[in-house]
Amino acid sequence: MLQNPVIRAAVAISLGAIGGALSRYYLGLWFNQLLGTGFPYSTLIINISGCFVMGLFTTLLIGALRTISLDTRLLVTTGFLGSYTTFSTYELDTAKLLQQGSLEISLFYWFCSAVLGMVCFQLGVICAKFFQIRNE
Amino acid sequence: MNSAISTILAISLGAIPGALSRYYLTLFFTSRFGTAFPYGTFFINITGAFLMGFFTTLTSKFGISQVVQLLVTVGFLGSYTTFSTYALDTSNVLQARGYKTALLYWLGSPLLGLISIELGILLGRLI
Repeated sequence: MLQNPVIRAAVAISLGAIGGALSRYYLGLWFNQLLGTGFPYSTLIINISGCFVMGLFTTLLIGALRTISLDTRLLVTTGFLGSYTTFSTYELDTAKLLQQGSLEISLFYWFCSAVLGMVCFQLGVICAKFFQIRNE
Repeated sequence: MNSAISTILAISLGAIPGALSRYYLTLFFTSRFGTAFPYGTFFINITGAFLMGFFTTLTSKFGISQVVQLLVTVGFLGSYTTFSTYALDTSNVLQARGYKTALLYWLGSPLLGLISIELGILLGRLI
């Protein structure tokens, strides 16, 4: 059964998704305890750190890690990172901030997530290239 | 059942169909519309935001149990939608199609996501 590539892909994504969703939940609880719930730091930190790892990993996949199997790629990118980061909670946080009446804070959160997501993704790409040049 | 175990089970059981539907929907959109624009992730994030608004409004209205809430919001919707692939897509579009299409996708996703979560909240209140 595990020889079938369709089943292998589904299992890889599921295993990654469980790890990603649980780390999002427990890290989120921990960040809320540390930083309070006045501002949605937890979703912000999770989303931008996930973007960093996505940039790092997908760049390594075309270089140092190019021999890695398709199942492992799916486990890390589609499974783990896809589930670790979340878009629906990001919009929910923004909507909640808007309901609390803080237009500036909600706009700040909404826009900063998108900007910092791209910045961290690019930082991940740069880090991966840096590692690869050093190893060559 | 121990509440820590039921939390883990609820999130895991939601996360599996969330991630798998994201994967298969993305494959479907790619085979249908090609890879020139990330329609798959776009559609997934917008619909996920709508469902999040709709479900959380129903939750506060009808008092749905905590385990079901965790399964749907943290598990399913949290895994169904994705922020890291949104960043990856933006970077890919930027390289393949230039900054105009990339900007459209990059700003369009959070903007339409916000509109659709508000629509979801509105629909939840109407029911």
